[in-house]
Amino acid sequence: MYPPAVMFRTIDELEEALRKADYLPDRGLSTALFLSLALEKPLLLEGEAGVGKTEAAKALATALSARLIRLQCYEGLDVSHAVYEWNYPRQLLHIRAAQEGTVSEDELFGPEFLIRRPLLEAIDSDEQVVLLIDEVDRADEEFEAFLLEILSDFQITIPELGTIKARRKPAVVLTSNRTRELHDALKRRALFHWIGHPSLEREVEIVRLRVPGISQRLAEEAAAFVRGLRGLDLAKPPGVAETIDWGQALAALGREEIDAEVVEQTLGSVLKYREDIEAVRDETLVSLIEEARATAKR
Amino acid sequence: MQGTAIVRHVVTFGRVLREVGIEVGPGRVLDALRSLDAVDLTRQEDVYFALRQTLVSRHDELELFDRAFAAWFMRGPIAPLVRHKHQRDHADRLVQGSLTTGGDAAEPEPGDDPIELGASEHELLREKDFAEMTPEEFERCRVLMTAIARIRPRRASRRRAPDPRGDRIDMRRLVRRSLRTGGDPVEPAWRARKVVPRKLVVLCDVSGSMDAYSRALLLFLHSVVGSGRGVEAFGFGTRLTRLTPDLATRDPEAALARATVTAVDWGSGTRIGSSLAEFNAVYGRRALSRGAVVVIVSDGWERDDPGLLEREMAKLARAAYAVVWVNPLKGNPEYQPLAGGMRCALPFVDRFLPGHNLRSLEELAAVLAGIERRHAA
Repeated sequence: MYPPAVMFRTIDELEEALRKADYLPDRGLSTALFLSLALEKPLLLEGEAGVGKTEAAKALATALSARLIRLQCYEGLDVSHAVYEWNYPRQLLHIRAAQEGTVSEDELFGPEFLIRRPLLEAIDSDEQVVLLIDEVDRADEEFEAFLLEILSDFQITIPELGTIKARRKPAVVLTSNRTRELHDALKRRALFHWIGHPSLEREVEIVRLRVPGISQRLAEEAAAFVRGLRGLDLAKPPGVAETIDWGQALAALGREEIDAEVVEQTLGSVLKYREDIEAVRDETLVSLIEEARATAKR
Repeated sequence: MQGTAIVRHVVTFGRVLREVGIEVGPGRVLDALRSLDAVDLTRQEDVYFALRQTLVSRHDELELFDRAFAAWFMRGPIAPLVRHKHQRDHADRLVQGSLTTGGDAAEPEPGDDPIELGASEHELLREKDFAEMTPEEFERCRVLMTAIARIRPRRASRRRAPDPRGDRIDMRRLVRRSLRTGGDPVEPAWRARKVVPRKLVVLCDVSGSMDAYSRALLLFLHSVVGSGRGVEAFGFGTRLTRLTPDLATRDPEAALARATVTAVDWGSGTRIGSSLAEFNAVYGRRALSRGAVVVIVSDGWERDDPGLLEREMAKLARAAYAVVWVNPLKGNPEYQPLAGGMRCALPFVDRFLPGHNLRSLEELAAVLAGIERRHAA
């Protein structure tokens, strides 16, 4: 027998467990994850790249002591990669080997020839599972329609085998970068939470948690600088993930504070587009650094 | 006691949300009630998130929700969304002028049905500049325009479907067929990539200098948006407005009325560069333009710094599959693209076309159907 699911009676309890998993959620996100468990409904997380959507699902799995099953979506993702596939080489060999009597279709399409992909794994599991369906906006609409079926009934029908129903509903987290609007029917099945950039205080806290050995002062300056960047008109404003990367770079260089020289050297870990790097050269950079240092001093 | 009060509260709040335009079905209200059951009702923050996460599912509805929540649960004043009266009047006038054949417009004579048009008359209509058309001629054009707009650029999908001329083996069907032949794959089965419509983004200049053509092009846009999924339409003048939802309805007159109201910049100057910047920042970041055919409809009269236009065109061209610029002025054989804006934009344009009459719209449709990416460095 597998142990019963970890239960959280209050949002605070869940928040505490997420913190222990090295994830610092804001109240909105903890409420969303809590309700998703309480109502047994999938949670759709949207937000700019790098705000920690995928990390949230991973932290939830840790908090629940559950197994994380991840399905990365892409255009053209189909049933054979997301749900199940028949093991064709084995099937062909089996037909050959049984040259004496004939092989029946039932035999050929039995469980021993089935290759299980993430969605089937998640539905047909006795353990507690967190199913992460990552970047669902990248999959096409045909797949979305298929997903809808699984997420409303928590069951999968394989024509040759019959219907497999979840014995234990997985906790489902979907993430989307909003490259397109998802279908309303799918949205109706899910709770929705928009993750914004964290407050300055929280971002400092996150950087200190994720970059061991970084000083409070440097974490504050880095977070304030990145925050300043987000206020500019950039092609890709940096997310928390970039602040962490940058914090690691600065700490590795043994810095206690930021200055124009070190920012120039390491800007590539914060800004990923050449035009963005060019846009913050010179005066913009100097004034951003000054502002960040002033913010940290307070 | 307390239970029924909450139910009443939430149900009424659902109605308030519907009034401000957020679609709230009974399923969502039920989820909201269940979620309130699970959180601590004395914490306002938790109540707020519980309601928001169950009742709203779109980022662009969050602001409306916040407004309604403040008004309903915190007794704040309701800030109404106001449209300026003169904008609506202007829009109404435009729509009247372009679409309805009542009033001062000429009544169509019997036998003037577009299908029964004589060949020469038909030909004349196709060549006639939109700016010189009578309302009645314009009405005839609508029918032809719809047919043109149905043609969409296409691309190969990554998804495959059974196809006897395919290039990949369909294993599932092959195994099944091999049963009959003792495991020998005698009859092969194939799969091929499906062909699906390519994303199409249309950015239409609705400023004063385009007045004569924007009527026609908005009609064209309506037909294009109606042609299926993956089409996005925007209007711009001094700033950008998304027109897709307004143009997505079946009734072109109502859609046009709303589109013109939404395009608040009607009749004022043009800031192409900053409009493109807004498109790139808001929609480009969401990868709307990635791999898309982008059609810009404008005369290229830029009020501001052409340098900005140049930079934004470069960004757009990098993300897009191809960029088409439709400029009605190009219909004049003497036109030279010397205006600052147009000259700066041209290096990033794959195809430069006129859009002043029906024939040129046909040309546009033909280009869209067979467009190839420019192989520039």
